[in-house]
Amino acid sequence: MLTSPRRWLWHGLSVLIIAGLMGTLYIASKQINYSWQWARVLPYIVNTAPLDLRASGNGTITEVTPDAITLTLDSGDKPQVFKSYDQAVAAQGDLIFEGDVVARTVQWRAGPLLHGLWVTLKISVISLFFATLLGLAAGLMRISSNPACQNLAFAYVGLIRGTPLLVQIFIMYFFVGTMLNLDRFSAGVMALSIFTGAYIAEIVRSGIQSISPGQMEAARSLGMSYPKAMTHVILPQAFKRTLPPMAGQLINLIKDSSLVSVIAITDLTKAGREAISGNFATFEVWITVAGLYLILTTLLSWVVRRIEKRLAASD
Amino acid sequence: MTEAYTGKDMIVATQVNKIYANGCHALKNVSATISRGEVVVIIGPSGSGKSTFLRALNQLEQINNGQIIIDGINMYAPGTNINKLRERVGMVFQSFNLFPHKTVKGNVMLAPIKVAKREPKKAEQDAEQLLRRVGLGDKLDVYPAQLSGGQQQRVAIARALAMNPDVMLFDEPTSALDPEMVGEVLDVMKSLANDGMTMVVVTHEMGFAREVADRVLFMEDGELLVSDTPDNIFSSTKHPRLEQFLSKLL
Repeated sequence: MLTSPRRWLWHGLSVLIIAGLMGTLYIASKQINYSWQWARVLPYIVNTAPLDLRASGNGTITEVTPDAITLTLDSGDKPQVFKSYDQAVAAQGDLIFEGDVVARTVQWRAGPLLHGLWVTLKISVISLFFATLLGLAAGLMRISSNPACQNLAFAYVGLIRGTPLLVQIFIMYFFVGTMLNLDRFSAGVMALSIFTGAYIAEIVRSGIQSISPGQMEAARSLGMSYPKAMTHVILPQAFKRTLPPMAGQLINLIKDSSLVSVIAITDLTKAGREAISGNFATFEVWITVAGLYLILTTLLSWVVRRIEKRLAASD
Repeated sequence: MTEAYTGKDMIVATQVNKIYANGCHALKNVSATISRGEVVVIIGPSGSGKSTFLRALNQLEQINNGQIIIDGINMYAPGTNINKLRERVGMVFQSFNLFPHKTVKGNVMLAPIKVAKREPKKAEQDAEQLLRRVGLGDKLDVYPAQLSGGQQQRVAIARALAMNPDVMLFDEPTSALDPEMVGEVLDVMKSLANDGMTMVVVTHEMGFAREVADRVLFMEDGELLVSDTPDNIFSSTKHPRLEQFLSKLL
């Protein structure tokens, strides 16, 4: 154990090294004449562009007050009223044609990157749910005494862990998806669930096998059936023990979900690619995308740490 | 077995054989009858098959051939529900095997609620009463990890008793305990014996055998060699191998 002043020295050194690395990257980017324009990324996160309010038909502006603009339509329909606008474009008496901008409102909307983040979150959570079910079933089959169950689970885990996720996504979308008429999102969720389920199966298996056999014997000697002993005695203990590897697997799931962008699901990664084709701020957008993934995964590890702390009560 | 059995034999084991997958012949034609209310202590050197025999009595070990009848129910007859049978045979293990994720009370209540389908309120009252009986009325809500070995073993006894078993099996209940904690567990077992519980105890505590047992079985090398009263076993045995075993203990 180092004394505290020297510890701070080392902490300072690590900060210095990180700052040095970032500075080097910055200088390197200058070498290739890259001009950093972070402001260009902002609209893709939060869209602050004013929203155009357009006329629904031909007519005349008959009234402009600070609260509302009234457009009397030539067709004689009910007048179109623009309420709560921020900036008037048309003035009293203007002739207006269908589709003209009458007023604008200023508001904050989620940009494409946040939409992408939402899709990533959604696909991860749904996949997580199915992957856990699948993994639990396959894990229990691995340790069952029935050879058919063992073989099936063994084949599943071997097949999935032995092939790349990217290829599995293509197979799921182009082959299985075409046969079952799946949309992109479902195909993506299925591929991710099946992939992650295989890893969770191994975690579940090792978690259960790490519980002392005496626990099962004690439960069975009290008259519990095998399923009851599993649900009330073995799995609750295995759950606690598998939390750290499970958390790692879930973080992997979030990161792996970036691969579904290849079947044109607009997740965070695809949204990033689209943003770059609009603003050409390649470096900035990818760094932002990485940061958004980091926020998701950090949040997840924090939640898992909380659960671990709570479960530690019986230690 | 259609009508309720009321005979005096609680356990009848006949010609029981157990051969492990590695070829070890752990039980060789073991036959024993244990009456209702009897306290039987099984002694013998380690590896003699005592624990295997005890564990066969609630089918934690499957036997290869022979017959075991508990309270008139043939354990290996087709149609016998082993879970139902195990509810009536309590077991206490050398390593306690308490459920570490449950509190002391939770350990005792779990099977009555999940298996016997008792009202949770009733099960809780029963659990508290049982835990007071084993002297742990003040430890209801702590987790097993916070208890001493002797206290854990007493919880394990209360947990087995919570199912109202007809027989209690003890598999070296004091072997994993520090010497100063052996007494408290043996005291609970003695009071249980005095209450008329049918008990089968595998132990190295010869004092307990001498004082509490109605009968002592001596096993060696998978065979049941002697079955006699404690007095005959400890003071006037003529059996050479039993004599040899006892002489090593003194």
